[in-house]
Amino acid sequence: MKSFLTALTVLALSSVWTNAKEITLLNVSYDPTRELYQDVNAAFAKFWQAKTGDQLNIQQSHGGSGKQARSVIDGLGADVVTLALAYDIDAIAEKSHLLPPDWQKRLPDNSSPYTSTIVFLVRKGNPKGIKDWDDLVKPGVSVITPNPKTSGGARWNYLAAWGYGLKKFDRSEAKALAFVASLFKNVPILDSGARGATTTFVQRGIGDVLIAWENEALLSLQEFAKGDFELIAPSSSILAEPPVAWVDKVVNRRGTSEVAEAYLRFLYTPEGQELAAKHFYRPRLDSVALKHAATFPKINLFTIDELFGGWQKAQKTHFSEGGIFDQLQQANR
Amino acid sequence: MKRYGIILAGALLALRLGASCAMAQDTNTLELIKQLQHRIDELEQKVKTLEGAKPPPPPATNDAAEKQRLEQLDQQVKILQHQRELDDEAAQARASVAPKISVGDQGFSFASANGNFGVQFKGVLQIDSRTFFDDAGITGNDSFLLRRARPVLQGTVFRDFDFLFVPDFGGTGGAQIFDAYLNYRYNDALQLQAGKFKGPVGLEQLQADRDLLFNERALPTGLVPNRDIGFELHGDLLGGVATYAAGIFNGVGDARLSNNADFEDDKAFMGRLMFQPFKKSAAPALQGFGFGVAGSFEDIQGTNTAALPSTTGGSLPGYATVGQQQFFAYNPTNAAVVASGEHWRVSPQGYYYFGPFGLLGEYVISNQRVSRIGTAPFDSRRLQNTGWEVTGSWVLTGEDATYGSVIPRRNFDPRQHAWGALQLVARFSRLDIDHSVFPFFADPATSARSAQEWSVGLNWYLNRNVKVMTSFSHTTFQGGGGSGSSAPALVTREAENALFTRVQLAF
Repeated sequence: MKSFLTALTVLALSSVWTNAKEITLLNVSYDPTRELYQDVNAAFAKFWQAKTGDQLNIQQSHGGSGKQARSVIDGLGADVVTLALAYDIDAIAEKSHLLPPDWQKRLPDNSSPYTSTIVFLVRKGNPKGIKDWDDLVKPGVSVITPNPKTSGGARWNYLAAWGYGLKKFDRSEAKALAFVASLFKNVPILDSGARGATTTFVQRGIGDVLIAWENEALLSLQEFAKGDFELIAPSSSILAEPPVAWVDKVVNRRGTSEVAEAYLRFLYTPEGQELAAKHFYRPRLDSVALKHAATFPKINLFTIDELFGGWQKAQKTHFSEGGIFDQLQQANR
Repeated sequence: MKRYGIILAGALLALRLGASCAMAQDTNTLELIKQLQHRIDELEQKVKTLEGAKPPPPPATNDAAEKQRLEQLDQQVKILQHQRELDDEAAQARASVAPKISVGDQGFSFASANGNFGVQFKGVLQIDSRTFFDDAGITGNDSFLLRRARPVLQGTVFRDFDFLFVPDFGGTGGAQIFDAYLNYRYNDALQLQAGKFKGPVGLEQLQADRDLLFNERALPTGLVPNRDIGFELHGDLLGGVATYAAGIFNGVGDARLSNNADFEDDKAFMGRLMFQPFKKSAAPALQGFGFGVAGSFEDIQGTNTAALPSTTGGSLPGYATVGQQQFFAYNPTNAAVVASGEHWRVSPQGYYYFGPFGLLGEYVISNQRVSRIGTAPFDSRRLQNTGWEVTGSWVLTGEDATYGSVIPRRNFDPRQHAWGALQLVARFSRLDIDHSVFPFFADPATSARSAQEWSVGLNWYLNRNVKVMTSFSHTTFQGGGGSGSSAPALVTREAENALFTRVQLAF
């Protein structure tokens, strides 16, 4: 009997291995997630091979979230997109019909397996005394933030500043506008993506304060001598929910729908959530969030729905052609 | 110091004078002392004035302010440097999507940044002269001629779809569409072409009109189809070692150019297979050798004259010389000839190019069933006409000879003592008519049963776009030459001796 079972197992395994395929997935992501997905991809590939025997090769593309979305619309064959904000994936759905308009409902937590927020990174000793958003509009303070036209992180930064302005000035849009306008007067240069802005601040030594993804700020502290920079948590900030989705028309054509969905669902597993926390993204899973609570500063967080009525409205009002950001830039020339 | 020097000098002077005064001891001494005192006072005042004109010492340096200023300047420099990098990136991004426009020896072209869309405007203009010697008094054949005047529009859409449109405003047939087709390129080995284009049979016929070595093609090209309308599958295999083409067309008579519609229901099949077996070999002397075979087949169910050979140089279907004068016609007395039944062609062909030397040859069989109608005896017969040619070339200035054009190493520029490229060309060709065509299908008194031609010439390639050609052709006939005041009788009465020249612009 034992030898029969052994033979059966060998036969089953050999059939699996005989049918083992080589699969390639393309994950088009936003700028700062390089390190996260390096680890996630290695872990998921191992998981998938153990489960199915298939050899998985996950390729990555990184860049400003808006730019990445446009690339996918223009034909970049992404099996999955893991972008900075829901609006960018909505744009892919609307303009190219590569995935359905209700894509966000397909995965838990509005398809955002992890969250983040916006904080400040300053130089050692905090020479300009940055404590909160108000300090960023003072004369002589040089602020680094990427370009909201290309970067999802930059749009979160901008809305975080605007949201602070609304809270400070009793929801006065005019005063919030003046506040953000003053802030952008202090921005000497606009990189195209969040990682570029981090590089500008940390490696090129430009600017007094970097408005950054929390994960980028914490990563910078870890990567560079901790004493060279300091993280400043503002009094309030925006809850950033970077979403993920598989691209239906691409995965159906390439036959990768099963593995693409499994890959994104892996982000919600304890292992996936631990990797998110490791790379300073705020995990959704309570058990993992509790375990890593000390890593993340306590900040009053508001959502985009709360103050801006959602991404569609915020995008149209602030970031579309001729929107408020364009007007600010025009006025600042 | 100066002040003290002056005071000391004054003091010494005073002492000296004082000593003198003591010795004098009179009222003038007191006066003198007063004067000296006054002088000393003046000197002191001058010293004070000089001291007052000196600049004050510099104040102590403010280190902290300087350091801040330097830091600000450092920041500004870094910002400017990084802004320039971002501007360069943005410029590169714009350039990568900007359309490309070029004007040059390949014509005028516009293309999208990714090359998926593009349009090229090109053209061919050929201005010929023909002079016939001892031509039995034929009139109207010595001529300057606008042989070809073709604007060429070609391009690509969505990366894989190529198109070509070529009307011709030259020649004597009025404006007409020569080429108009769309080609889908799945890859080099698999392409599908649809429209009007050259049938894949004759080797010299398939040579581009701009790349001909003589003004007119050789005699056997009179047996192969010109442009026809249809669909063709074609491609290069093994990196061009083998080339194939297979298509279905309306079907045209020998040397005919299709009208824009078929003249009957049946279709013609044409195909071709060429090999360059040593294309990738390490021996350069073998790389330019190619051979193959081509053919066509059609079964005409009805009867018509449109499937018979072209009427070039005459009023009836037949065959013409290189001077485009008809030497054979389907012209039975009091009857007519029509095509009816099968028409097949086969053509083994080959070429060899090595350095400045080029050689091209082909043999063509055109086997066609024709019928005599109108007047008895009614007859239907398969007629087999054959032709062959050998064309040699040598680029005297050393450039490479090719199936395409010769590209001069140095373009014509007399100021730089550069003269372009010079090529010597020679050709021998022959066309034999099936003897059983006489007398029921053709008049032996007027139509020749064969024509044989030799030609020599010199081609001058000034640059990639401009070429000047000159050649002499001598054609002799067997048969024909009888009475008659028109072709083919008039043409076959004497050998054809013709001097050709051409000035060509092609881009």
